[in-house]
Amino acid sequence: MWTVGSRALFRRELLRFLRRPKNTFMPPAITNVLYFAVFGVILGGRIDEIAGFEYILFILPGLIVLGTISNAFENASFSIFHGRWNEYIHETLTSPLSYAEMIAAYVGASAVRGLIVGLIIAAVGRLFVPISVANAAFLVATMVVIAALFAGLGIVGGLLARDFDDLTVMNQFVLRPLVFFGAVFYSLTILPTTWQYVSLLNPMVYMVDGVRYGLLGYSDFLELAPAAYAEIVPLASLAVLATLTALVVALDVYLFKIGFGLSD
Amino acid sequence: MPPAIETADLRKEYGDLRALDGLELTVEEGEFFGLLGPNGAGKTTFINVLVGLVRKTGGEARVFGNDVEADYRRVRDAIGLAPQEFNVDRFFPIREVLIHKAGYHGIPTDEAAERADEALKRVGIYDKREERFDWLSGGMKRRLLLARALVTDPDLLILDEPTAGVDVQLRRDLWELVTELNEEGTTVLLTTHYIEEAERLCDRVAIVNEGRKIAVATPEELKRRGTDTVSVALEPTPATAPALGPYAHGSALSGGRLDVRVDDGSRIAPQLLRDLEADGYEITDLEISRTSLEEVFVELTGRDDRTVTRSTAEERSNEESTAERGQPEGVV
Repeated sequence: MWTVGSRALFRRELLRFLRRPKNTFMPPAITNVLYFAVFGVILGGRIDEIAGFEYILFILPGLIVLGTISNAFENASFSIFHGRWNEYIHETLTSPLSYAEMIAAYVGASAVRGLIVGLIIAAVGRLFVPISVANAAFLVATMVVIAALFAGLGIVGGLLARDFDDLTVMNQFVLRPLVFFGAVFYSLTILPTTWQYVSLLNPMVYMVDGVRYGLLGYSDFLELAPAAYAEIVPLASLAVLATLTALVVALDVYLFKIGFGLSD
Repeated sequence: MPPAIETADLRKEYGDLRALDGLELTVEEGEFFGLLGPNGAGKTTFINVLVGLVRKTGGEARVFGNDVEADYRRVRDAIGLAPQEFNVDRFFPIREVLIHKAGYHGIPTDEAAERADEALKRVGIYDKREERFDWLSGGMKRRLLLARALVTDPDLLILDEPTAGVDVQLRRDLWELVTELNEEGTTVLLTTHYIEEAERLCDRVAIVNEGRKIAVATPEELKRRGTDTVSVALEPTPATAPALGPYAHGSALSGGRLDVRVDDGSRIAPQLLRDLEADGYEITDLEISRTSLEEVFVELTGRDDRTVTRSTAEERSNEESTAERGQPEGVV
């Protein structure tokens, strides 16, 4: 799977965004400075602690998730779609790389971009508030899984898109609303019970909660779930997300194999 | 050794349109093989089936004995493709583009860099190695496509309209280079609109039309399939065309000369002269016009397609070739 060929494609994909930090890393850095300044400092000063955390610290995991998944998605969808648009994806498709090798490289590189953006946002947050990681292994595992999941979804998006507007629509009108209603800026515990249940239908809730658990050691689910199940809830969420990621990556490989959006 | 390319009943349909309609072709290893046909004949579709950019609807296609779908990795590793369209990675300097391409073929970075330099030198654009594709001239872009095809050291080099819209000098450079590669043992499949190109370079030529093979032979054999014209000036000038033997497929008087269509002009001419002398004519002049491959093409495909021409490349404007490249795959 991780052959000379897939490493070459992985390297190409990494270099594409690493050489353009103004396009790839500056925007999330600036956006998050604004988020922290407005929501954390200006508004946050007037908001009470949530679940025992300063507001600025409470929203940090959600902002990390938002930046990570939107960049992983954007990178993969853009790379695939731009390659299709200008047809240079043919360089890959006419090579002897297996479809699994191609997907490993595309997903891997886009996940790396998402994770770098996550680190940048954490670093920006650190400028405003001290951070100590509660559960490093869980945090890393969750971040890797969600970055890979959205990189995998980005490939599907890049294959489905018919023009560049489609990519914008996917990111702005699907991803962002789901994240904003994914308990980034509030705790599920403050919602009425009905809305708590509705929120459980939003997959982003599990991701934000998982990262919050890894970073702060706090999980809404631990508060809401029956005590007997509370300890396994974060791990169960991670397991479901990991399974979902594996399914999406398998779908990517399948779509490449049948040439969906790639061959006539 | 299995043939370089072997297809049987190869079909590709786009709805009602049959881009490939039971195409049967065999290209032997080491051959310089030409694929000649008008736009829409199925040439590019055929190539794209081999490299995996088009999924066949039916039939079989093998490259060096490997099925293009079941053994796609072996097939793609063996092929170097210089396509008609400029499908080059715009993000990187061209040297890096070649390094990446070689990398996808499993060549480690150091060796890939050496090969990239070698390929760029071979096509004469090494000094442009740090430029991006968009900054190259049209001719250099064509050279780069060839370099990209060569960087993986392919056993089968496929050139899809390599000289479309390029100047005479570049055309000759490319001819020289691909001839050299073929002499070194690389099998070459060339598609072209230029009959002169096919005649000059190819060991064998297949004429395809509407997704089907019309004929496969050496350019010389193909030309022999057409009719020659023996033109004679007679004294006295006849009032009507004299009756001739069954070797004559037709005759006409034109400007005081008698033009006779025959299968093989040089073989039939002595017989024709004897018959005319026996009729009391004196032959004062004789010309034999050989059939051109272009005429054979028109006869075989039943169309005088303006896209297949003997005219030189520079007569085609860049706009024309751009328009051709812009055609959707589905109709090529």
